[in-house]
Amino acid sequence: MSNESLQTIKKILALVFINIMVLLLSGCWDRKEVNDLGLVTAAGIDKISDKTIELSVLLYIPKSAGSGQSMNGGSEVGDAQTLVRSAKGVTIAEAMSKLQEKLPRHIFWGHTEVFIFNEKLAKKGLLKHVDFIIRHPQLRERSQLFISKQKAKEVLSLLPPLERDLAAVLRELESLKVGMEVTVKDFALMVLSESGDSAVPWIKMLPPEGGKKKKETIAYIAGTAIFQKDKMVGKIDDSITRGVLWLRNDIRLATVTVKPKGANGYVSLSLQNASSKLIPKVDNGKWKVLLKANAEADIVQNTTQLDMTNIEVIKNLQHQLKKEVENRVKLALVHVQKDMKADIFGFGDTFNRKYPDLWKRDKYRWNEIFPNIEVTIDLDIKIRRQGMNSVLSAIIPEEVKQK
Amino acid sequence: MIEKGKISGSQMAIMMNPAIFATVLLLVPAITAKHAKQDMWLSPIWSSLMGFLAVFLAYKLNKIYPRNTLIEYCELILGKVLGKILGALYLFFYFHITGIIVREYGEFVSGTFLPHTPMLFIFGTMILVCSFAVYGGLEVIGRCSEMIVPVVLFLYLVIFIMLLKDLDIRNMFPLMANGLAPSIKGSIVPQSWFSEYILIAFFLPYLTNREKGLKWGLISVASVMFFIVLTNFTSLLLFGNLTSTLTYPVMIATQYISIAEFLEHLEAIVMAIWVAGTFIKITVFYYALTLGTAQWLKLSDFRPLVFPIGFLLISFGAWSAPSLQELSHFLSTSAPFYLLSLQIIVPFILLIIALIRNKFLRKKETATG
Repeated sequence: MSNESLQTIKKILALVFINIMVLLLSGCWDRKEVNDLGLVTAAGIDKISDKTIELSVLLYIPKSAGSGQSMNGGSEVGDAQTLVRSAKGVTIAEAMSKLQEKLPRHIFWGHTEVFIFNEKLAKKGLLKHVDFIIRHPQLRERSQLFISKQKAKEVLSLLPPLERDLAAVLRELESLKVGMEVTVKDFALMVLSESGDSAVPWIKMLPPEGGKKKKETIAYIAGTAIFQKDKMVGKIDDSITRGVLWLRNDIRLATVTVKPKGANGYVSLSLQNASSKLIPKVDNGKWKVLLKANAEADIVQNTTQLDMTNIEVIKNLQHQLKKEVENRVKLALVHVQKDMKADIFGFGDTFNRKYPDLWKRDKYRWNEIFPNIEVTIDLDIKIRRQGMNSVLSAIIPEEVKQK
Repeated sequence: MIEKGKISGSQMAIMMNPAIFATVLLLVPAITAKHAKQDMWLSPIWSSLMGFLAVFLAYKLNKIYPRNTLIEYCELILGKVLGKILGALYLFFYFHITGIIVREYGEFVSGTFLPHTPMLFIFGTMILVCSFAVYGGLEVIGRCSEMIVPVVLFLYLVIFIMLLKDLDIRNMFPLMANGLAPSIKGSIVPQSWFSEYILIAFFLPYLTNREKGLKWGLISVASVMFFIVLTNFTSLLLFGNLTSTLTYPVMIATQYISIAEFLEHLEAIVMAIWVAGTFIKITVFYYALTLGTAQWLKLSDFRPLVFPIGFLLISFGAWSAPSLQELSHFLSTSAPFYLLSLQIIVPFILLIIALIRNKFLRKKETATG
């Protein structure tokens, strides 16, 4: 009897305990419902005065599928999908708290993929703002950084015709790997590297097509902003950026057009499997870097009358292709190494890796050494495939003549 | 003997793995990186020597006193009064250490995931769960870890594999630019973690196959070393010089995972690893503490002590440090000396005294006999 009653008491206690657990597990202090969150997909920071900045956030507005259209009577494309709000402050964090006053939803940073900084702000130094991005537990180090020509607020409030919002546009553009790809981590790493110079993609607004509204356009990656330490010192356009990509081993896709010697017209080639390596060398106190790169090329268009199955022609073409790429690299060196004197290629790091003792000794005069480093270029580009036809354009003109 | 359960050598090895590794995972890579820079992956290899030494000491002591734990043979070696004092010292030490572990757990969870939840609540719930495991005894803890640890380690490897494409091997060079000194300096803090292996002194008496205790202990140390090297490699190759400035490199590394713009936002995995790992870690320490206290007081059962000690641990967790900075500062400055002296030097002295005593006794026996 007593044993039985003891067991029932035990059972009751267990039940009570489980119920208490349910109460405790159901809610905690940090509960956040999705419909209370304002998802930030991109953020832009502008300079207002020497001390104050303006933070603009692009919020994602979840569309209630289907129902919205009839209610609004066919609203314009993209009209209701994005929302940009901004607030001023001394730091991003302060601006954010002011922004929160104007937003009915809790600002959630976990999905922020793009950060746009205005040029003017970048010239004052970026690291103090990047600090917020790294420090905040919700923000991701994979967020992409951009420097914009126009005000970041204006850029964010664009209504892209094709993508959902500007964050998506920039992310897609970046994934095509036509320009540099710089995440918050990459930027911090570059600033902390031996030379401390960095580079960030530079965007500007594309003029809208005729007949479209002023805002119905996108911003695109038009070049690269060059930084000494974390301060922007200049920018290079997209064609020079290609050369920088070769030096940084970031080149993935490239189309090069060459004009073969003695031929009428051009040959376009697309490069694949490109990779490059920097090999430092110090000779009698002279600092040198050898850029060793290799790639494969496919012929994509041939407007000349050369026969692309001819091995001699291909050899010639290979030679010219190398020249062309070499020129790109040299152009990048002239602008970035000689003019801006910013080591965004990681020369300092390569020297440190190979000659740690020498680097320790001469690091203090790196600013003098860097612009005078001699760069030799050793390219190995092979033309592998000729495409789907061999000499189409070589045949047609003859037919024309016969007529 | 108070504890009637038995565990196998492999169970001990499995449960000691997260007992060391779980907290190394978070704060230690950054602390190591501060000293060792690009040689940080070497540091755990040096510091694991301390782990091997601790296992060896515990095994040797256990050979002399096969049926007793650390607290018990303190008394057998040093005599009643001194032994009791040293035992009390050890108990306080384990109180403090377990409090720190509890605090690290709370700091991480509230710092990254639940900023508004009171920390007392975070580690209070954890201690509650741990106390059930401790109440169940050694066998329960052993089986629990057999279930949890493989999953934890598997998830950890998954994180590593998903980061492979973002790693940059160049961050490793120049190798040993300043000689071995930086990597050895960097190994001092992990050494204190490895010295926690002396804890197996509490488990060796309850092994089913005691002669294999040494082997499994060493395997366990090696496995921990492997995972710490892997951790340091990942954070070094991903973040380079940035590692030392991050608070929780592994956490940020996991946030960095992005595969095909689809497999993202995987921090929850770190959370799972962390909670499961620390659960084992706290349970192991908590168990040793409870068993030790019962043995020190010569009680016939340790179970009545479980909940009161759990309650004390919550307060130790709250008191152990005022903030994360202080905690991190303590761990990187005074903790190595504190932990190493009690977990390596004192057992070493105990072992020497025990060996001398044994010889002396044997001589006496042969003389009289």
